[in-house]
Amino acid sequence: MRKQWLGASALCVALVAAACGGTPGTTTPASSTTPTSTPSGSTTPTPAGPQMDGFDKLGPVTLNVWSYDNQKPGLQNTIEDMTKNFMAKYPNVTIKLKFMAFNDLVNTVNRSLASDAGPDITEGNQGYQTDAAEVKAKLIIPLDPYVTAYGWDKWWGDSTWQIFQWTPDGKTFGQGPKWGVAQTGQNVVLYVNKAKLAAAGIDIASLTTFDAFDAALTTLRAKLPKSDPVIEFGNKEGYGTIHFLGGVQGAYGDAKPVRDWIYHVAGSTWENDQNTKALQKLADWAKAGIFNKDYNAIGYDDAAAKFAKGSGAFLYEGNWETAIVKKGLGDNAAVMNMPPGPSGKHVGIGATSGPWHISAKTKYPDLAAAWLNYVLSSPEAEASMFQYQQIPAVAGATAPTTDPFLGEVTQAWQQAVQDDGLMLYTDWASPSMYDTLSKHFQLAMAGKESPADAAKAIQADWAKFDTTLH
Amino acid sequence: MLAFLLFTLAPLLHAAWLSLYDWDGLLVGRYVGLDNYRALVSDPDVQASFLHAGKLVGFYAVLPIGLGLVLAGVLTRHPVRGMTFFRTTLFLPQTIAGVVVAQAFVWFYAETGPFNRVLELLGLGDRVTAWLGDFDWALTYVGTIGTWVTFGLCMVLFVSGTQKISPSLYDAARVDGAGAVREFLAVTLPGLRNEIVVAFVLTTINALRGFDVIYNATSGGPGNETYVPALVMFQNAFRYNKVGYSCAIAVTLAVVIFAVATLINLVAERGER
Repeated sequence: MRKQWLGASALCVALVAAACGGTPGTTTPASSTTPTSTPSGSTTPTPAGPQMDGFDKLGPVTLNVWSYDNQKPGLQNTIEDMTKNFMAKYPNVTIKLKFMAFNDLVNTVNRSLASDAGPDITEGNQGYQTDAAEVKAKLIIPLDPYVTAYGWDKWWGDSTWQIFQWTPDGKTFGQGPKWGVAQTGQNVVLYVNKAKLAAAGIDIASLTTFDAFDAALTTLRAKLPKSDPVIEFGNKEGYGTIHFLGGVQGAYGDAKPVRDWIYHVAGSTWENDQNTKALQKLADWAKAGIFNKDYNAIGYDDAAAKFAKGSGAFLYEGNWETAIVKKGLGDNAAVMNMPPGPSGKHVGIGATSGPWHISAKTKYPDLAAAWLNYVLSSPEAEASMFQYQQIPAVAGATAPTTDPFLGEVTQAWQQAVQDDGLMLYTDWASPSMYDTLSKHFQLAMAGKESPADAAKAIQADWAKFDTTLH
Repeated sequence: MLAFLLFTLAPLLHAAWLSLYDWDGLLVGRYVGLDNYRALVSDPDVQASFLHAGKLVGFYAVLPIGLGLVLAGVLTRHPVRGMTFFRTTLFLPQTIAGVVVAQAFVWFYAETGPFNRVLELLGLGDRVTAWLGDFDWALTYVGTIGTWVTFGLCMVLFVSGTQKISPSLYDAARVDGAGAVREFLAVTLPGLRNEIVVAFVLTTINALRGFDVIYNATSGGPGNETYVPALVMFQNAFRYNKVGYSCAIAVTLAVVIFAVATLINLVAERGER
């Protein structure tokens, strides 16, 4: 009996020691593989640049890919179809695709990359909580050699490349090596139900200014049945308001101050007229019954589905919902940017789609880059994206003229890029900013907090994080 | 014993150890002593979450136990046909995954859902709102989901408890001319003491550590009206990369649950004497 007890105590002590270990995180490998130094399995002498073809000589290879582009019909089809093509070209290569919801991926990807069973290629998310953490912990590799080798640098201008750049310490956003590359142009656009506007006597061509749009909302509220919202809105996840506010912020100012704030440029602040006026406008609309009352309980994608079934006259959501809206409303649907404020510039939330990264633990970084190059920019991929109503991010992609609706979506993206109007996503500004913004936007929209107080709380989050960057 | 050490005690101690570090889950952590605990005391989100958990105890524990007792009392006095069917049906919510329950209630309480239809039929059309998205009502309606889930468990516990109470006690009470209420208070309630304690401990723990239903029904919103400790813990660990701080919340929650369960048992034992 006594012996048994001793044994148990010894075990207990051993377990405690094992459980507590040393300092957490010390087992993480500190070094990363650089792409040029690992043409793994290649039989040719080390080439100057990365290996770009001939992967059929690698022998059986499996790559795991994670993506949150899970819209179907949508980008998921393109990724699946292009992957089939790629595997047909290299029959020895197996690509395992895993699609999941945005939050599910973003909340787990860092720890998965740090484990030995993580993806070889994955989407991340701009901002400190995902991309910066991956850069800092050396979980992903810089793509600069591939950018040069494949000519990706011609895809877009410097300000767009900034969203993939981080200094290697993960502290400065918008500078340093390029860690990611993306597939489609995504901006928040105004979907219009043309029949409802016509029934209310509103000419869609008259919506050239934000004031005209605002007036149209009032007219529609008076004419639509009470049960029908003027703007169908879904904010259950909390990013609905973040996306929506961007367009209204655009009516009161430029995108640049907002971008500077995201990049933590010294002296930036959220507490300014542009932001508080925009937030007040949203609260006024909510009070006037412009939105469906249950917007905090309706999911973002669900709102798009409801709009596609005829609820609301407008929907202001990402252009990745295009396929769903078109399927529901057909020729009744139109797309435009949020009508501009006095500056005449089309400003709103938008960037490319999620950044694709290559894991530092993959044995085949060159093969991973070849897959990315094919899926993101081959002529087949471009055609497939347009087929599924997605806008390729690469410069100069032209939509097929047979599809005027798709032409409008493409034009909205290119117009926002031209006007320097992409505001990026404001929740990139700090790890906790997503929750801070969604919480205070909800409070302000419900009239529970003044826009000034909300701005103050948001700036406090920014300032608190800012001190950790210097 | 080994299983307990390996799968319960070791992770718990590991979490307690991590809670003393400032660690992002990836890089090397920094020992900060009790700083995480000091920070959480003044964190408004943590404060709100524990307050909400306290309120949820009412919906997850007190209300279902009350309802379960009343029903058990009625059933012992007036046995109904098809008892097994009722018991099974009422217990069913316990067996459904929280995610499914949450989705069902999101639909039920939606602005165009059945609950509001009923309100309209009752002439309360002006009260219609999305209950889970309402600042004043979200927590209450999330609470009712908990009541629905745990009520069946309590009732089944109590009904089976009444079956082991000696029928002679009921006969004696009836001979003495006791009415339904008197019989319930004098015979059923004391006879169910142990079941009530078990039910109270189980449901209270459920209320305090709840996550799945709330994450899927409201994600903590609107604002932070439905933040609960497990949700704040999740946000810190998986969204903000503050693993050490998240472990501090977890440890605090575990201590609170342990204290509450002990308290319930102490009170019950004292009552027995």
